Amino acid sequence: MKTRSILLFATGLTVISLLAACAVPAQPVAPTAAPAEPTAAPAEPTAAPAEPTPAPAEPTPTPEPAAEAGKVVIAPGGKIRIGGSFALTGPIPDPGKDIRQAAEIAIEDANAAGGVNGFLFELVAEDGACSGDQGTVVGNKFAADPTIVAVTGGTCSGETFGLRPILQKARIPFVSPSATNPAITSEDCDVCNRVALSDALQGEVDAEFVFKELGFKKVAVMHDSSDYGKGVAEIFQNAFKKLGGEVIAFEGVKVGDTDFRAPLTKIGAGQPELIFFGGYATEAALITQQMKEVAGLENTKFMSVDGAYTQQYLDTAGAAAEGAYMSFVAGDTQKDKLEEFTKKYVAKFGIEPLKLGPFHGQSYDSVMLIVEAIKKVAQTDAAGNLVIDREALIRAVRETSGLKGITGTLTCSPIGECGAGGVQVFIVENGAFKQIYGFGIQ
Amino acid sequence: MGNIVSQSIVLPDTGRRARPMRWITRGIGILIVAIVLARAITVSIAEGYPLTFWASQLVNGLVLGGVYALVALGYTLVYGILLMINFAHGEVMMIGGVAGFFGLQLAQALGWMSGSVAQVAIALLAVMGIGMIGAMLTGVTLERIAYRPLRNAPRLVPLISAIGASLFLQYSVLLVFGVSPLVYQRPALISGGFRVGPVFIPYTGLIIFLTSLALMAALFIIVQRTRLGRAMRAVAADRDTAALMGVDVNQVITFTFLLGSALAGAAGVMLGFHNSVIKFNSGFIPGLKAFTAAVMGGIGNIPGAMVGALVLGIVESIGPSALGIPAEYKDIIAFALLVLVLIFRPQGLLGEALAEKKV
Repeated sequence: MKTRSILLFATGLTVISLLAACAVPAQPVAPTAAPAEPTAAPAEPTAAPAEPTPAPAEPTPTPEPAAEAGKVVIAPGGKIRIGGSFALTGPIPDPGKDIRQAAEIAIEDANAAGGVNGFLFELVAEDGACSGDQGTVVGNKFAADPTIVAVTGGTCSGETFGLRPILQKARIPFVSPSATNPAITSEDCDVCNRVALSDALQGEVDAEFVFKELGFKKVAVMHDSSDYGKGVAEIFQNAFKKLGGEVIAFEGVKVGDTDFRAPLTKIGAGQPELIFFGGYATEAALITQQMKEVAGLENTKFMSVDGAYTQQYLDTAGAAAEGAYMSFVAGDTQKDKLEEFTKKYVAKFGIEPLKLGPFHGQSYDSVMLIVEAIKKVAQTDAAGNLVIDREALIRAVRETSGLKGITGTLTCSPIGECGAGGVQVFIVENGAFKQIYGFGIQ
Repeated sequence: MGNIVSQSIVLPDTGRRARPMRWITRGIGILIVAIVLARAITVSIAEGYPLTFWASQLVNGLVLGGVYALVALGYTLVYGILLMINFAHGEVMMIGGVAGFFGLQLAQALGWMSGSVAQVAIALLAVMGIGMIGAMLTGVTLERIAYRPLRNAPRLVPLISAIGASLFLQYSVLLVFGVSPLVYQRPALISGGFRVGPVFIPYTGLIIFLTSLALMAALFIIVQRTRLGRAMRAVAADRDTAALMGVDVNQVITFTFLLGSALAGAAGVMLGFHNSVIKFNSGFIPGLKAFTAAVMGGIGNIPGAMVGALVLGIVESIGPSALGIPAEYKDIIAFALLVLVLIFRPQGLLGEALAEKKV
């Protein structure tokens, strides 16, 4: 009996650890609300008890909110703190690091330019881990910290979905450099902005490329079950069907899986001309490799999206990557600005940004967008404090217009789509990406 | 006979449970099996997969099962001797994979990986040896530090220590080697594969399967035919009596960890070659799966672990297609199977009834 009970206990632990591994994001902690509650009006001594008092005094409207509520006040010598949620661990640590380092360069540049009225900026970097749970944790951390003015990030869509409701409630505007799921921005979220382009565009351009340029009519779609990967895979699937193509399978795997032979065998039974994968670099690379070992997929092409458009994909997939297609939501890159940025980046970190990830331009611009908005709304009060009104900042970010960044001229749409540029499609040739289609090609 | 726990132990439990109760349990079990089978048959007919499809999935399953088996044996060996679940065993496998990765880097730097066939083969064996040694060092150190001081503590204590050790090892590797996966570059010799009719068999898959069989056979011989193996079986049967008969119990336990870890290290290296990547949490899910396999086969039972692992691998590969559910739920199939086995056949598929004697 003891044996059995210990096994059951061990099984219970197994289940618990599994649950912990894929836990539902925790409920957002309510941000500190304005504590000032309208105090009940003191009972007035009624004069004539017979006469009904004419309309009891309406509840006194909340008096002016406390000086702190709705405003960030920074004492002289303090820093303007911008939060950053970066995917430093999780499935795409290298692009996450790239985005963080680009944000650091942007902060340095903003400070070198004098900051705001003598106040300098500071980046508060947290690990969003590319996951919804961790995004929630980071969001709560920022919401609980009254000195956080705005947030750059998150890196991944799932992570940003974790941040979104919390920052919306805490009235902290965020600008994501790289979260591409269409639902990141919406009409009911005034703090949600991004510089990256929505996958609504990427999925459609990819479908058009596959259907018209490559002429493939029968494809299989895979995704990694992340908000990002599944989102873009669904858009691709719908767009491809609308064009008249056939999608023979829509298969999910998991971020972190390493053996895809079983689902690939299932897909191979239908002999598709191409497999489209929505997800990140490692899984994309392993699928590219393992496809070659599955019956029915010998001549099948592989295509993936911006999450896999990294050096890590090329390194992991090796020779198997040759001929794979990859799309990217590119900015309208300004050559001179990018060169200047790259020089600083290499000098500081000793590595070419593209070796880590593709989103450094967007990251730099996200921070700059926030910095410019802060410059517009920040005021110095009589005591020499810097005062930033949160609501005014939210509006200022959304009203960004004609800002010249590395990734083009940024103008935020009414729902917070600030990016410029278009979708590019690359092919892997001799171990490197080469653009063959889409935005900015001659 | 492969049961390293003495055969003389018989469970008196069956008689105690009321007959009707047993029949009800059995009836429910049969009902569940029937429902699953019916679903599998209807889906298979509806999908109309060709036979070669099932053959390919079977190959996938056998390869996966081979890896699980090597790891599962470590669980079973340690359980047989110490009656504890070594939850850090998946991490031992992962560290074997990491050690093998550095062995591979070394071999590549020395240019062995692009030499003649014999040279590459020797280099691959050396890489596997390095992985096994790395895992063995980890396993033995683990036993010395995390388990031996707790040997006479209540049985849950070493279990908790094992979970702690598992997390410690994972995050140490994260700290030292970072979060990016270590990428195994396959030498040309074992890239690709061959065809048996329309079924493609990757070389790495074949190597995994054959190596697992060879290693399991070696283990079986060690346990059944050598002096140390006999000592192991003696300690498994009754530690105190074995000690009185002059068996060095500590030595036997260390040896058990060495054996189990060596197998896990080999699995880690082969998994690296097969799936190309190893990272800090690569051992976690395979470790849980191998534990599942060991329990399914009847924990403490060596052939049971092999059978359980192969069954698990095959079910995991074929299951999603056969039951018509998305592949991302394959883990659910595996763990549901574990729960069902524990409810309806707690002694495992091949397990003999274990006694409470050793508690």
